[in-house]
Amino acid sequence: MHTPARNLETALIHSGSRPDESTGATSPPIAQSTAFAYGSAEDIEAVFAGRDAGFVYSRIANPTVADFELRMTVLEDGLAAIAVSSGMAAISALTLALVGSGDEIIAGSSVFGGTYSLFQHTLSHLGVRVRFIDPTRPEALREAISDATRMVFVETIGNPKLDVPDLMALAAIAHERGVPLVVDNTVTTPLLVQPRRFGADLVIHSTSKFINGHGNAIGGIIVDTGAFNWSNPRFPRLAPFHERVGQFALIAALRNRFCRDLGCCLSPFNAFLMSMGMESLGVRLERHCGSASTVAAFLATHPAVDEARYPGLPSHPGHVLARCQFGGRYGAVVTLRLGTRERCFRFINALKLAKNLTNLGDTRTLVIHPASTICRDLNAEERSAMGVSDDLIRFSVGLEHTADILEDMDGALRAL
Amino acid sequence: MKITVNDSSKDVPEGLTITQLLALEKVKMPAMVSVQVNGAIVERDAFATTRVRELDCVDFLYFMGGGGEVR
Repeated sequence: MHTPARNLETALIHSGSRPDESTGATSPPIAQSTAFAYGSAEDIEAVFAGRDAGFVYSRIANPTVADFELRMTVLEDGLAAIAVSSGMAAISALTLALVGSGDEIIAGSSVFGGTYSLFQHTLSHLGVRVRFIDPTRPEALREAISDATRMVFVETIGNPKLDVPDLMALAAIAHERGVPLVVDNTVTTPLLVQPRRFGADLVIHSTSKFINGHGNAIGGIIVDTGAFNWSNPRFPRLAPFHERVGQFALIAALRNRFCRDLGCCLSPFNAFLMSMGMESLGVRLERHCGSASTVAAFLATHPAVDEARYPGLPSHPGHVLARCQFGGRYGAVVTLRLGTRERCFRFINALKLAKNLTNLGDTRTLVIHPASTICRDLNAEERSAMGVSDDLIRFSVGLEHTADILEDMDGALRAL
Repeated sequence: MKITVNDSSKDVPEGLTITQLLALEKVKMPAMVSVQVNGAIVERDAFATTRVRELDCVDFLYFMGGGGEVR
């Protein structure tokens, strides 16, 4: 797709726009502008007609956002990308572009609660059927997929179940039936896995998490890997776009219809924060994964902990697959079970360093009790499918010194 | 040799590839442009190997802009 830099850690820093021609500034300018003026009626007409490049209105496209989109396209080795206001906006817009009334989505049963709610509750009354399957059982996908299926959706690592699907096996089954595989790469990022290499057709991120990395901006992105042929008759709404721009059909449809009409644009300033944040993703992820591995090993053998879960632990059922797919690093999310809700609350309240909030991928270590917060609207059966029990705690291990993170957790465990 | 680029007649060197034509025409945002030659879309992976020929009609199409901005 794009000529890659030698390694992704280098591409993170050098794949944005070139330094400003007049000033040499290396950071992208923030085009904090609603619209863009043209010198003549013919010039703006040419842009609207798609005959010339240009920006017209920041709800549709913006230079600072375009810089971020290019960086993510390179990072995912994709064809093109479109940035939106949040990860949920990415999933929503993409789903509305691909799926209509009478169609079907197949999704992993362990997807993030917000994604579950979108599929199960928000879209269902529009006549969209959703089937949830165990994403770690490819045979379950083979049994579930039908002529009505329009997309298969999984996360690289389930949040917070931490199950690991076999992406290549799922892609093969989806493609046998002419269905695209959408992979949410939020928790792993392209530095651990480029889902395209395992057969993914579309990749989405909540860039609010590790891409931004500093807990200061919400955003999302849809990356088309370029692998799927959008002239597929399952997607008649994309046919006019395919006729005009070929392999860019979905991105063009998102840009000029779905995202445009939904208005789910990313603000230029948030795009700037994403671009700046991601430049250090290489070193951040190194620290995140290293500390998470140490934390998981510590918790796994602690007498006060009933169970610790992390794909990097040999005891994890998906450990071997995770090692293959993620190159020997396993992310920053670790979960533990303490037996009861009360013990969980006492533990969280005794932590002094970790911040009790709902987010992932911040510089700070973050902790949350999912059952009473992000998953509280789900029923018992839904929580069980997501691996959320009343005694489950989720950590997003941060960038503090590992010894300090461990000391904080140890102190809180001693308080039980 | 003579070709047409977005309805304008151009004189270009023989054997020019699409990649070279994009550079020659100083096409803005080449990562965002779709290329058609004589009405047929050229896949991005083929830009470096597809050569234009005498009297070819080349269209550069963008999908950056477009649509009504005021609702």
